[in-house]
Amino acid sequence: MRHHQLSILPWMGLPWMGLFLLGLLGVGVWGAAPPARGDSPAPGQTPDYLEQIKPLLLSKCVSCHGPLRQEGGLRVDTAALLLDGGDSGEVVVAEEPDQSYLLDRITAEHGEDRMPPESEGEALTAEQIELFRRWIAAGLPAPEAEEPLPPPEEHWAYQPIERPEVPPAAADPLGEPRNPIDQFLAIAHQQAGVTAAPRADAATLLRRITMDLTGLPPRPDELAEFMADDSPEAYARVVDRLLDSPRFGERWGRHWMDVWRYSDWDGYKNELRGSQRHIWHWRDWIIESLNEDKGYDQMILEMLAGDELAPEDPDTLRATGFLARNYHHSNRDIWLDATVEHTAKAFLGMTIACARCHDHKYDPISQREYYAFRAIFEPHRVRSDRIAGQPNVAQDALPRAFDAEPEAETYLYIQGNEKRPDKEHPLAPAVPAFFDRPLSIEPVSLPLQAYFPAAAEHVEREDLAAAARRVEAAQKALDALAPAKESSDEQAAASNGELELARLKLSAARAAEQSLARRWDADRAKHTDQPAEETERLAAAAATAERQAKLLEAELQVAEKERAAEKAEQAAQAAADKQVAAADKPADAADAADAKKQQAAVAKLQKAAEQASKELAAAREALTAAQTAAGETATGEESHEYTAVGEAYPRQSTGRRLALARWIASRDNPLTARVAVNHVWLRHFGTPLVDRVFDFGLEAPRPAHADLLDWLAAELVDSGWSLKHLHRLIVHSQAYTAASSGLAVTEPVGLRQSAKIDPDNRLFWRANTRRLDAEVIRDSLFFVSGSLDLTLGGPEIPATEGETVPRRSVYFQHAYEKQMTMLTLFDAASPNECYRRGSSILPQQALALSNSTASLTQARRLARQLCSAPIDAAATGEEAGASEPLLPAEAFIRAAFARVLSRPPRAAEVQLCLEFLDRQQRLLADPAQLTASAGKAAPQLAPAEDPAVRARENLLHVLLNHNDFVTLR
Amino acid sequence: MSPFEPTRRDFLSNLGMGFGSVALSAMLHRDAMAAAPVSHGNHLPLASVAPKAKSVIWLFMIGGTSHLESFDPKPALNKYAGKTIDETPHRDVLNSPFLKNERVVAFDPNNGHVRNEIFPLQTGWKKRGQSGLEISDWWPHLGDCADDLAIVRSMWTEDSNHGAQLQFHTGRHRVDGFFPTIGSWVNYGLGSINDNLPQFVVMGDPIADCCGGREAHRANYLGPQYDGIPLDVDPVAPLPYAQPPGDVYREEQAGEFELLRQLNGVSAEAYPDDEALRARIRSYELAFRMQAAIPEIVQFNDETQVTRQLYGLDQAETKTFGEQMLTARRLVERGVRFVQVYHGNNGGAGQWDSHKGLKAGHSRLCQQVDQPIAALLKDLKQRGLLDETLVVWATEFGRTPGSQLADGRDHHPFGFSVWMAGGGIRGGVAHGRTDELGYHAVEDRHYVTDIHATLLHQLGLDPRQLTVPGRKRLEKDFGSPIEAIIA
Repeated sequence: MRHHQLSILPWMGLPWMGLFLLGLLGVGVWGAAPPARGDSPAPGQTPDYLEQIKPLLLSKCVSCHGPLRQEGGLRVDTAALLLDGGDSGEVVVAEEPDQSYLLDRITAEHGEDRMPPESEGEALTAEQIELFRRWIAAGLPAPEAEEPLPPPEEHWAYQPIERPEVPPAAADPLGEPRNPIDQFLAIAHQQAGVTAAPRADAATLLRRITMDLTGLPPRPDELAEFMADDSPEAYARVVDRLLDSPRFGERWGRHWMDVWRYSDWDGYKNELRGSQRHIWHWRDWIIESLNEDKGYDQMILEMLAGDELAPEDPDTLRATGFLARNYHHSNRDIWLDATVEHTAKAFLGMTIACARCHDHKYDPISQREYYAFRAIFEPHRVRSDRIAGQPNVAQDALPRAFDAEPEAETYLYIQGNEKRPDKEHPLAPAVPAFFDRPLSIEPVSLPLQAYFPAAAEHVEREDLAAAARRVEAAQKALDALAPAKESSDEQAAASNGELELARLKLSAARAAEQSLARRWDADRAKHTDQPAEETERLAAAAATAERQAKLLEAELQVAEKERAAEKAEQAAQAAADKQVAAADKPADAADAADAKKQQAAVAKLQKAAEQASKELAAAREALTAAQTAAGETATGEESHEYTAVGEAYPRQSTGRRLALARWIASRDNPLTARVAVNHVWLRHFGTPLVDRVFDFGLEAPRPAHADLLDWLAAELVDSGWSLKHLHRLIVHSQAYTAASSGLAVTEPVGLRQSAKIDPDNRLFWRANTRRLDAEVIRDSLFFVSGSLDLTLGGPEIPATEGETVPRRSVYFQHAYEKQMTMLTLFDAASPNECYRRGSSILPQQALALSNSTASLTQARRLARQLCSAPIDAAATGEEAGASEPLLPAEAFIRAAFARVLSRPPRAAEVQLCLEFLDRQQRLLADPAQLTASAGKAAPQLAPAEDPAVRARENLLHVLLNHNDFVTLR
Repeated sequence: MSPFEPTRRDFLSNLGMGFGSVALSAMLHRDAMAAAPVSHGNHLPLASVAPKAKSVIWLFMIGGTSHLESFDPKPALNKYAGKTIDETPHRDVLNSPFLKNERVVAFDPNNGHVRNEIFPLQTGWKKRGQSGLEISDWWPHLGDCADDLAIVRSMWTEDSNHGAQLQFHTGRHRVDGFFPTIGSWVNYGLGSINDNLPQFVVMGDPIADCCGGREAHRANYLGPQYDGIPLDVDPVAPLPYAQPPGDVYREEQAGEFELLRQLNGVSAEAYPDDEALRARIRSYELAFRMQAAIPEIVQFNDETQVTRQLYGLDQAETKTFGEQMLTARRLVERGVRFVQVYHGNNGGAGQWDSHKGLKAGHSRLCQQVDQPIAALLKDLKQRGLLDETLVVWATEFGRTPGSQLADGRDHHPFGFSVWMAGGGIRGGVAHGRTDELGYHAVEDRHYVTDIHATLLHQLGLDPRQLTVPGRKRLEKDFGSPIEAIIA
């Protein structure tokens, strides 16, 4: 029953892995019962220690009685250790189950007396207890040479990264220059007896490298050039060109956005529930940083502590979107838990979240240390700073992290229960002690603009300019009214009213401008620590100016509301009069309906009049209040209180996050570089070097290519954490450029042998065939037809516009419940967590590619280009006859393959396509015989009228659905 | 057979290469085994225990249906109406240890609180059927099916807010995150008995994003191939990309699929070791068949007038849900494993969420679903399908015995009712019990995953087999089958 699970586990034979394996099989690491076969011993039989007893010890006991912890001085990871007993003496007595303390404890009835304790795991079943009883009764039979589990200090991933010696280059059977990566792999190949596959053919290789580095296929001219260039430097030139392309940042930006959990804001309607509005600034920072090859260490510093590192630099502050993204509207614990969990997973491959409710079961992280790690983030919150040129923060702003509560305490939650904080023992910020490199935390004094963001030059300038514009507009309006001559008293009176109002508007605008300027003076003094006397004087002036402005504003409001109320009343009255008049006339049915409408209209106007009068009353009340306040100023009861021009925040940041960032982004950290290399490797090869990319803890066995991993990690660090250097190393390896599959791999005897020995390619003796990522598939649809808009950056585009707006997918909304269907069908990242993408093959994907308006529109667009353009005719040996309106069919087919699949067609394919064009053209020539689809969607471009062209559209549409279109070979 | 609907056999035998014949012989073998479950994913089907049921129809009322006015009569509420709980002899419900099961995410002054003043029952009750099972007067048609129902009156959950909707589908509290849902586990565990249709189909507007959203029918770490596939009862657009746009001819598309099959076949010759290519060829074939099969399911041309009336398609109130119930029957008839139907989406907490105006709200909502659900049970039964189809009716929690806002009831996670019918479940039984006020489940208490375990058991699946490498499942995720209601 479980064979299928076993067969997909590629690693075996390591002690800790064994423990993990048992968990997978539901034996009970995670509280599940063991398989039925194992726990019902045949009556009278002695249980087998290795098969039946040890698995229980490992899964039920070893997390507290093993190498990590020895509760009560007891270890049970070998039978010998179990026999040694613990602090209180022996726990098993051979042949005497009833005298064995172990049985007392596993059969104890109550909670924490029982082993495992109630809070730690499920009790053993009666059958399992019986196994122990019988094993003890049989005299504890166990093999002699039993290895204890290794101590965590010896775990491979916790060892310092030391550059391993590159193994000497073995004679290369393919005669190609060896890249150190291949020299490491060659050892493994030799040991296993596998032969490395030859280099992939030029078309395959160009498509692979172009897709990998830019997320787009090569253009036909690039393909032609590369296929024609036999020079050894040709490939290197391509790699350099692609790494220099801005498309590189978009492609790898999307990868890192998976790892760093990029999410646009989400929420119901307009309510913000998760992440932040305008967080796309962080996305743009990611793309730009990758394009400029910013050091990976620097990126970590900026994402975790950009606000402490460069508090006045908005470009750097964008990076803290990494933190802002965790915002959760209703629950701070969820917010911080996510921050802790994913900071550790993304950068350190550390599953610290497992220690939220209890000490980590496998890794050396205590529950206290979980909360100490949380304390690093406890003071921080998220705010949105104004951006130069955009005073309206709803339109655009910069979401960023900052320390809002430097004094906030962190408590351990007993059993992870937020209702039970251990308030006796607040926790200081720290990283797990096991790593033996404590944080060095220095508080950071912030510059004015960081703690008082309104002090940014553009904020004052723009706000005062807005106030001045209001004055100017009011002045203009007044000037326009003043010269008019009235022809009647009534008009004069009305005009006087207008004039009065316009004057009032001007006064109010001037007062508002004054108020703003004075308040700015006062705030600036206050936040730059001017002498108290000066600060107070300015505050008093600001308060006076503001009260004056409020008074005038209130007067203006009253005047405006009076007029509005009057007008509304008149309109209601007029409508009512008209209705009465109409009611006097004899009516027919149509009139009756009219009357009903009128009645409703009158009611609506009356309601509006009531509303206007209510607003007037409120305005009058406000005026009275403003008058009282202004009166107080006049009588000398001065208040210095005024409305600040902007929010002020703490002047010091705790420096905790910066300390953590430095701790992570250090060459001494054994995890950071290894984890990063693994992520990059995964995305070049389709399989990682360390299988669970977010867990480098004790559950992760030493990888088969550990030396290679370490060498690459050392290269990354020593290159100044240059990711482009890492990419360059990898894509120049023979492992990367090798053929992936097909006859090239299965035909030669040596390779067939390799396929037998290592069918899963754990040894990277060939490249892997991969399905393209969702974004690459969609972007390629638009790219091959030449319609992809390559604009960089900017606000997220609604997910609903994905079929019509030809921007790259990375720029579309990507949030909980707000993702493009086309992308989710192809395993797009879950915004919540995606350290590694899936790559499924589903019928819904087929429906999406064949029925979406996007694929049809792009096929039609491309057909029009290829049909008319006399391209490649010479290259393909075809002659484009002058009288021929269409490119000859075969030339069209060749051009289509080059454009869509980036390769020349095979002879059989040309033949099939020719037959298809002929068949399809005849079919389409007689539309009367055909049935239209019932679908409602409308592609942006209609199909061609000419059946011959339409058949070619069909052919291109087929190629967009071809397995090779979504596959990287 | 139309020329552009190649059968699976034609499809593969026409490929004319090695892998085709292997796959074909496997398929012929399977066809010979009639309705035996087959794999459609990357693992073998897991059903082991002798299965009683083949399919599940899962009905979920969004917002929290009052157990007190549906399936759990509490005359004490009439007796003590207007009194506070403290004034009744049952004041100890407010000190129950069960109260600590509640997990509050964010304090909300408007809901999730003890409502102290007893609110009388808003509708009457009758004993129905041979069994005399008590069912409220708001469910008259369902009452006709009383002898087929097993009501579980002792449900409890943790979330006193509507995240409980997600919890009912994954077994996990909303703040724990997203997990595979019961439908996706069934899909994962059983495999397909119909190559033309998806195995996990969802109807009705899903849970709103406040409360878990589409995660309530997703497969999470099992992968998107096990997600529920939303289906609209709309022959033109039953699912995303269900059909080509209107400016494409069917014959034109058939021609394209034929060329695609041929071209992929050429690649298959060049890449004989490419498993994914084979899978993609199959996926196109299934897609092509789904295009035809799915609209057919939501067209009711072959249903009689009597059937249409039975489901209430002729009445405005019952039409929408009636169509979904009829579609559900048509889906399970064709071998779909899991049909999940939501009722009561309103973009937020859900229409069943009756903090006020419970009488008006619930009576209207019951009217929408009562006849269609009863029709489904009767129809399945008369067609001999009820034995192999397990119908589950559920909601995220019950409602408080005390009143809120004068004429409503608040959220109540401590005791509520769900029912199951068919698929080897005993009929005419009420299992478990709440206290006199309907406050706490006090006898045979069941957490939501016991419902999951029960239906998995009936399908022949052991929840403990449903694990995936690297993904931890907790004891509470597995639940235990409710033996007492299994026939």
